[in-house]
Amino acid sequence: MKTWKKFAHVNAKTIDEASSILRAGKAAIISGGTDLLGTMRFEILPDYPEVLVNIKTIPGLDSIKEEGGMLRIGALVRLEDIAKSDLIRTRYTALAEGAHRTATPHIREMGTIAGNICQFNRCWYFRNPDNRFFCIRKGGKQCFAMAGDNRYHSIFGAKNMCLAVNPSDTAPALVALNAKIKTNKRLIEAEQFWDMKVPSSTVMAADEIITEIQIPTPAAGVKSAFIKFAIRKSIDFPIVNCAAMVGGGSARICLNAVYNTPYRSVPAEESIKGKPINEANADAAGAAAVAAAKTLPGERNKWKIPIAKTMVKRAILACA
Amino acid sequence: MPDQKDKNIEQESKEGLTISRRDFLKDAGLVVGVPTLGTITATELAAAQTKKAVPAEKEAVPAVTKRSSDMTAIELTVNGGKYRHFVEPHWSLRQVIRDQIGYTSPKDWCGGQGACGSCTVIMNGRPILSCMTLACECNGAVIETAEGIAKTKHPIIQAYIDNNAFQCGYCTPGFVCTAKALLDKNKNPTEAEIRDALGGNLCRCGTYQRHPLAVQEAAKNLKTGA
Repeated sequence: MKTWKKFAHVNAKTIDEASSILRAGKAAIISGGTDLLGTMRFEILPDYPEVLVNIKTIPGLDSIKEEGGMLRIGALVRLEDIAKSDLIRTRYTALAEGAHRTATPHIREMGTIAGNICQFNRCWYFRNPDNRFFCIRKGGKQCFAMAGDNRYHSIFGAKNMCLAVNPSDTAPALVALNAKIKTNKRLIEAEQFWDMKVPSSTVMAADEIITEIQIPTPAAGVKSAFIKFAIRKSIDFPIVNCAAMVGGGSARICLNAVYNTPYRSVPAEESIKGKPINEANADAAGAAAVAAAKTLPGERNKWKIPIAKTMVKRAILACA
Repeated sequence: MPDQKDKNIEQESKEGLTISRRDFLKDAGLVVGVPTLGTITATELAAAQTKKAVPAEKEAVPAVTKRSSDMTAIELTVNGGKYRHFVEPHWSLRQVIRDQIGYTSPKDWCGGQGACGSCTVIMNGRPILSCMTLACECNGAVIETAEGIAKTKHPIIQAYIDNNAFQCGYCTPGFVCTAKALLDKNKNPTEAEIRDALGGNLCRCGTYQRHPLAVQEAAKNLKTGA
């Protein structure tokens, strides 16, 4: 087994302390560690952190409560606890289902919601061990997937020249549920939260830390759903997933694993908004969602487009 | 077997008398990590701490940005036994349980990327991957491995044997830990729930069909006390 290279480790007592260590540079936050420790063990990134800041020792970040018309989920809440929560399963179904379909039971018991939405993108060039492909996402000059094997890559083009997809299962659910992500500095709309940066996948500054996720309670009768297509039922990252919240004259639909960031599909929303949820309308919304999709050179990722269409359709039908 | 091994560990920590192949390898490994012994006595601990405190900081840096990869002392309860160890920040829990404490059931298969589940242990009631857990973050944790489950005569072990739920056995400790954690929370799991819970454990012999049978039999035996 590849072992980790040496690093220092600090148990932070407060968010401010953790933030101050991050500000000094070459540091990374560790909560569940299931993504971070993998990237470190295989030395995927050119820079190896000098220090890991453990935020599991900060009290008060691990509660789920519904108050003031919204659901408040602490950054350190484990995915399994979200998947098992009766409150989230009944009223925020898309999130519970997204959390439940993430990775494996073990990883859900370890991984946190904040870590899940901050995970690095998925691309076999980017994730290749020992930084073999110094790609644009690591500060290099080219995207190897553009000319290489891109069968799992973006169907909505590149973002800042990167074709890697965001693999999170909870992220589209948060966008569909119109969540806000609270950090130690600001409140960010879920839709605005992701970005292609070197090397982070979010808009957060280097010393910014998620403290809470806030989801407005859906109006009565508005249902949400999450559908995922993956090769295997467990373990696998999504080929395409989709979360939808439809009802009461409004609709929010978000795909993931189809673009560099979670991909909110406004055409699909416009197509289904105010209409009865049925096979034909859902199918039309699915077609609208992928109208702008385009395959990459070589057409290796062409197969993802009909899957994306079907995911949108099924997610809408599940909201009936 | 587990009892015999426990005895070995005890003896070794007392006098270092029993030298099996495994113990020899373990001791050989310990030469590298000097302050880490099977059991650390209070004096050794104090000595190590004073030693660590001696070198003065070369440059004045604020306390929060101090970056040292010094060893830290952690206390673990593994299978009912209390262990105190010095660990380096980059040591995994699996490494400490196997190489320092001596329970060898958490296996390495996928190389530490969280893909196979064969290093599963039960930590504070949750089935977790010990290869993706930093040992230094586990201070005070209560951990159970397959050896501990066997030691308590949990019916899951016999159910696995009776149902032939393994072939080569390499992945079995991981499956057993995951299944036991499931039974702790859910006394009467359905087949779908069992398949869902065991979804993170891989078995290259392909014994998947047998696991739900074994877990359901164990659940039945737990209730009847058989």
